[in-house]
Amino acid sequence: MGNFILAYGEYHNGKLHPASLEILTPLREIADKLKKKLVLFLLIEDAERLKEVKALERTLCDEIWYLESQEFKDFKDDLFGKVIAELVKETNPYGVFFPATPQGMALAPRVAGELGVGLCAHVNAFEVEGETLYMLRPSYGENIIAKLYSTTLPVMATVSLHAFPIREGNKRPEIKEITLKESVKFESKLKIRKVKPIKREPSRLTVAKVVLAGGLGLKRRENFEKLKILAEILEAEVGVTRPLYYAGWAEEDRMIGVSGVTVRPKLYIGFGISGAIQHTIGMENSEFIIAINTDKEAPLVKMAHLSLIVDAEKFLDALLRQLKEGGN
Amino acid sequence: MRIILCIKGVPKPETVKVDPETHTLKRESAELILNPFDRSAIEMAARLKERYGAEVIVISMGPPNVVPLLKEAYGVCADRMILLSDRVFAGSDTLATSRVLAKAIKKLSPFELILMGLKSADGETAQVPPETAALLGIPSLINVKDIFFEKGKIVAVRETEYTLEEIEVSPPLIASIYPKLDYLRPPSFKRLLEVRNKEPEILTSKDLGLKEEELGLSGSPTRVSGVFEKKFVERGEIWEGDPEELAKRLIILLKEKGFLKA
Ligand SMILES: Cc1cc2nc3c(=O)[nH]c(=O)nc-3n(C[C@H](O)[C@H](O)[C@H](O)COP(=O)(O)OP(=O)(O)OC[C@H]3O[C@@H](n4cnc5c(N)ncnc54)[C@H](O)[C@@H]3O)c2cc1C
Repeated sequence: MGNFILAYGEYHNGKLHPASLEILTPLREIADKLKKKLVLFLLIEDAERLKEVKALERTLCDEIWYLESQEFKDFKDDLFGKVIAELVKETNPYGVFFPATPQGMALAPRVAGELGVGLCAHVNAFEVEGETLYMLRPSYGENIIAKLYSTTLPVMATVSLHAFPIREGNKRPEIKEITLKESVKFESKLKIRKVKPIKREPSRLTVAKVVLAGGLGLKRRENFEKLKILAEILEAEVGVTRPLYYAGWAEEDRMIGVSGVTVRPKLYIGFGISGAIQHTIGMENSEFIIAINTDKEAPLVKMAHLSLIVDAEKFLDALLRQLKEGGN
Repeated sequence: MRIILCIKGVPKPETVKVDPETHTLKRESAELILNPFDRSAIEMAARLKERYGAEVIVISMGPPNVVPLLKEAYGVCADRMILLSDRVFAGSDTLATSRVLAKAIKKLSPFELILMGLKSADGETAQVPPETAALLGIPSLINVKDIFFEKGKIVAVRETEYTLEEIEVSPPLIASIYPKLDYLRPPSFKRLLEVRNKEPEILTSKDLGLKEEELGLSGSPTRVSGVFEKKFVERGEIWEGDPEELAKRLIILLKEKGFLKA
């Protein structure tokens, strides 16, 4: 069983979600180590439109499979789950992986439930040992990483967003239409009556050169506002730890870490951030890390290239005043 | 109209203990608080009770120390409380947890709607609502912002990454609720007094007809093979001193590195 690996290609309106290309990067390595084929698969309402998806011409996968039906026009959780579960039953892949996008997180557990198999969440690293695939994610306690595996096949996981860079392949993957042998009715109980596109400015956090991140050590919302002013001066983007997102100081797409996004800026400055592993996993590959903290023993201070042991509020005030006076 | 509201106790961050052997959370010893994401599910249940006179049954799988949380939900809107509690439930991953919830929900048939939080703060997987729905063979929607009943049909408004959608579905449905509803009502004092002397019904694995090998660690296909500590290669530079002085030094450094115009 299982001489290939499936990766979910999230397709919406002529575009492939970039996170679907990200997950191919680690999966390519895994596939090579385990000597398996890597297949990206999509559910699409009109296969003609695959031509629009230029990214498909240079992906890391060996093959691209698609299933076509009018019913795939909108995302219907139950239908997509059933079709993918049937595809798995008929083709027996070694693993099925999804990007941890909102759609991937709605879909992967439906597939896992249908198949009765394990599903790891928010994986941000993989290891292959012998024939076993291990999935890594932060665990409880200071700087603890848990190594997980699945006792069932196919191995399933959702992969953290931006945890891996998109790489291009050097050959054009073969594109194949797949039809299911079993006559699964392409019918959903969900009837989409109205669809209103939402225009949300995507946050530029993940591509920013400079990231200023705020944590609980900022103490007051006012100080977080000061951080935003500093960000304007430095042409930086602002990120937060989970407690600040929970407190409603920032939108979810500003949260850095295992449950949020991964950043890789040239400069990361953390203000009042302890450096819990759930956060640092999302910023540890920053080129230069500065920690502003009153506690010399905070984990972020230990991992930073430079730490300023100082009260974040007083420091921000001093910095903003001097920058203003200096005319910057 | 029957609504089943699923809530979860999560360990208060400072009180978390990890079982050194299985690397799962020890919930029995931790102080539990209501999963913050469940507040929106409770509020949605309260709104639907208000709009349609729905009956609300709150259920939770967990050790006996989740009882106060069930009572909290009763204080807002629940009519009945059920605790799913059994030693063999401990250590369940999302699949094993979904098995327990699915069986309990089935036992409460007929029902129209199952409400859950978007995810839980201790695991952040968001898997249980769709996984439970798949086991029950019913549809699921995540990140639902509002729900109406129209001529026997459920109309749900959900937000995806790209769209805001209005979806019609025949009951039953599992919906996980958008975590930032504009208003969350507090429990009513009268109802909290009323629930003081009430105890939840308790269902065990036997009551649910579940076998031990489907539950807990043995029923969980995702396993922790080990944990390791991430070590930092070397310690960086440390600056201490007066904020003004440190600000001055940092500005110089930022200019040197080209992050600030000189
Ligand atoms: C399943 C799960 C997933 C999670 N996912 C994420 C995630 O994706 N992202 C995330 O960020 N977190 C996540 N967390 C939470 C994470 O474990 C930490 O709780 C969180 O990152 C801590 O945020 P913090 O550093 O702002 O707060 P704290 O840990 O409270 O740290 C505050 C820091 O501020 C310092 N400080 C205090 N006063 C001052 C002052 N006056 N001046 C300067 N410094 C000061 C303190 O010394 C301390 O180091 C997750 C947790 C779990 C269980």
